[in-house]
Amino acid sequence: MIAFWILAVLMIASAVFTVSAKKPVYSVIGLLANFVCLAGMYLELQAEFLAVIQIVVYSGAILILFVFVIALLSSGVRPFDVGPDRAPRILIPASILAGLTLIAITATVVRTPSALAKVPVGTTGEANAFGSVGDFGVALFTTNLLPFEVTAFILMVAVIGVVLIAGDDDAVTGSRRKPRRPGKREPIVKDRVA
Amino acid sequence: MSIAPEYYIVLSAVLFSIGVVGVIARRNPLIMLMSIELLFNAANLALVTYARVWANNAGHVFAFLVITVAAAEAAIGLAIVAVTFRRTPFVDVDEVSALRG
Amino acid sequence: MLLYALWLLPLFGGVLLWAFGPQLRSWAGPIGAALIGVGFAVAVALWNDATAPGGLHAGLVTWLPGWSFGLQLDRLSLIWSLIITGVGFLIHVYSIGYMDGDRAFARFFAYMNFFVFAMMTLVLSDNVIGLLVGWGLVGLASYFLIGFWFEKPSAVAAARKAFVMNVVGDVGIMFAVFLIVARIGSIGYADIFAHFASAFTPATLFLVCLGLFIGCAAKSAQVPLHTWLPDAMEGPTPVSALIHAATMVTAGVYLIARFAPLWSASADARELVGAIGGLTALSGAILGCAQWDIKRILAYSTMSQIGYMIMGVGIGAYDAGVFHFFTHAFFKAQLFLTAGIVIHALANEQDVRRMGGLRKQMPFAFVAMLAGVLAICGVPGFSGFFSKDAVIYGALESGHPWLYAVGVVTAGITAYYMFRLLFVTFFGAYRGNVDPSDLGIRHPELAGTAASSGHHAEEEEPHHHAPAWLMTVPVGILIVPTVAIGWLDAGPNGYWKQFFAGFFPRANDVAVAVPISDLLSSGLVLLVVAIGFAIAYLRYGAPAVLRDAVARLRTETVRMPAVLVNAYYFDAAYDALLVRPARALGGWFDRFVDPHVIDAGVREVGITSQWLGHLFRSFQTGLVRAYALSIAFGVLCIAAYYAYAFAFTGSGR
Repeated sequence: MIAFWILAVLMIASAVFTVSAKKPVYSVIGLLANFVCLAGMYLELQAEFLAVIQIVVYSGAILILFVFVIALLSSGVRPFDVGPDRAPRILIPASILAGLTLIAITATVVRTPSALAKVPVGTTGEANAFGSVGDFGVALFTTNLLPFEVTAFILMVAVIGVVLIAGDDDAVTGSRRKPRRPGKREPIVKDRVA
Repeated sequence: MSIAPEYYIVLSAVLFSIGVVGVIARRNPLIMLMSIELLFNAANLALVTYARVWANNAGHVFAFLVITVAAAEAAIGLAIVAVTFRRTPFVDVDEVSALRG
Repeated sequence: MLLYALWLLPLFGGVLLWAFGPQLRSWAGPIGAALIGVGFAVAVALWNDATAPGGLHAGLVTWLPGWSFGLQLDRLSLIWSLIITGVGFLIHVYSIGYMDGDRAFARFFAYMNFFVFAMMTLVLSDNVIGLLVGWGLVGLASYFLIGFWFEKPSAVAAARKAFVMNVVGDVGIMFAVFLIVARIGSIGYADIFAHFASAFTPATLFLVCLGLFIGCAAKSAQVPLHTWLPDAMEGPTPVSALIHAATMVTAGVYLIARFAPLWSASADARELVGAIGGLTALSGAILGCAQWDIKRILAYSTMSQIGYMIMGVGIGAYDAGVFHFFTHAFFKAQLFLTAGIVIHALANEQDVRRMGGLRKQMPFAFVAMLAGVLAICGVPGFSGFFSKDAVIYGALESGHPWLYAVGVVTAGITAYYMFRLLFVTFFGAYRGNVDPSDLGIRHPELAGTAASSGHHAEEEEPHHHAPAWLMTVPVGILIVPTVAIGWLDAGPNGYWKQFFAGFFPRANDVAVAVPISDLLSSGLVLLVVAIGFAIAYLRYGAPAVLRDAVARLRTETVRMPAVLVNAYYFDAAYDALLVRPARALGGWFDRFVDPHVIDAGVREVGITSQWLGHLFRSFQTGLVRAYALSIAFGVLCIAAYYAYAFAFTGSGR
């Protein structure tokens, strides 16, 4: 119980820090803290597999991706300049909206109370306890096989998309080279691997 | 002694609100994308909470799919950001207003 | 079968001549005339069938229960059909000569045939809707024919005036028809006459008769809807002869005679009709004394004679009124056609002040005109004598001494102005070479002199004359009935009375004891006629007067009372009360309503859509953050909905 409260406070603080930090790198650090605390929350809720996935995928892959892009955009030792603010004081309506949403959700959930189910707390390592790897694996590969396959497809589409959007203009990817002039034959690649 | 699930949901809502404010009130596209990640995670927390409440695995599976999709979306979003702001002086979404009517 | 032919042949002729006029050229006249002649033959052939009890019926179509349309030929329709086709045929032949060389020769005959068709629709219908249709169509034909020379603005104005006044009458008849259909539920004459006694209250009956009479007043040029008839003389003379003398203007008489059962049942209606008829007869005659245009003199005389007819059928003497129509058709048509011969010979001169002495130059026209004048004055032996005296005496018989007096006085005035016409036109020296201002003519164009009448043939085409017999033979043929046909009603058991015996229901109020016999009455009328003749002779025909004709005519023109010249100011009154306000209203609509209300409405539609566009455009800022804000607002709405459903109204689903 104490764990919950500590983690909750840390999560909120790190979230606020993420949103309000001056430099994007600081935001990444805040986000990292948030994700780690969230993994702790998952453990509280007996979602062990998901907690690990959270650390590995989210903190370990996505945040690194963010760091790389920050590095890419700040190459040339250029600080992140900003132009004139075209929507000044938009914070006011935004916070009002967010606050109202919060109130609405809170009101809904507080008035419809429900209790945690009685779930046997398995010992560590027991194969199919709730939330464990085995339990999750069974669910993923039997009942939810189709979503799993579709997820793979989504990832493939994402990769292709990224390559197309941000790809280079050279002969290897070939997406942005100049169109062939009619009558001119394409030159044979001279470099050969010996 | 376990915590009532309402607390988790309220926490999730708080994170969601912070994320919404972050998306709207910041001009740096990277920070906007990070706020969007916050939104995803808030939703995940709610999902996992209810999976625990009803002892149903489906919540976990759904949260897993959300993570996957969030990863894909972050990748593509970052690619777009990289391409869009490659040669501009300002990294500011207010500059990308070509759709102005 | 033949009945359908009688009805439709003129329509066929009208359509044929209208469609192929340019190709038919001068064949249009003989074709048109021949079709009407065939119609006359058909009407004669149907004599036996029509005079059988019940007449001849031919159905057309039954639309609703109680709404069946058909044709009928009974004694009343037969008389009218014979006049329309017979006199119409003669006038068609005459027109071949009169309209010769006119640019729109074929169109004239197309319109004339169309008119005959419309008139036949009116008299042959066995239902009140067919009557109304025919009523409207003859008004239309009249419009076409009055405005035949449409390049003349006065003709167009006259045509329009005639049509609009006729529409006023149409409204009256329509109200009467509405009442009839509402109370009786059927449109056929047989049904109406069978049921009206039980279906109408006395007030309803009077209203129906009033509505019908408004139509009669407009169509038959009774006071106060008479002002169109003198202007209608703008049309060609054959038109005036056929439509505005013999047939169309008598449609009112036909209507009253046809609805005799209704009129016999309503004493109030009869009083009204009789009074208006008498008033018209008198005022028309007085105005006829003040005219200088030969056709206008005849127009006012028509108005006056129809007043006699209306008076006759109005007081219940139906067969007398119809007989006067019968004789009047012949002598008035003949008078108009003779006037046409004179006009044609004098190169479209219509002002009698510029005529004179034509007795020697045109003896045939003189004889014809003399016959007509004697007939219209009611000189014993001629046709008018029998019919007019029958009407006048009928007024006394039905207990209307005032109308009797009006009839007698009018007969005297009629004699005066008709002989005035005769003397001024045919006696003395020819005044065509005299300067118009010496004769007192101040506005040559208003008096209808050669400068203004509309015969265009001389300017346009090489003037080839049609043979003169085309015009003189019909007139000659018409002299015979003018003189002689009155003998049909001679004596107390005349053929005419027997023809209509039992046809018309007698009026309710029984004939009063008459103070004088009909022979004495005829003598009285003859006396008055002689007085009128004497005055006319002294003023216009005596040898001393004739020598001094120019000066006397000028004096009379100058001294003519303004009331008479302006026709009792009826036209001025209509202009001030109706025409000017209507024009002003139209002008106001044009200046104000059209640009500021209607155009503004249209403009506002465009302006509003533009404004809406601006409004919606303001949302498209192009800012990502603004769009994100609106998405967040959507999320709030969803959350609020669930909050409302689950939290505040108990447990939702």
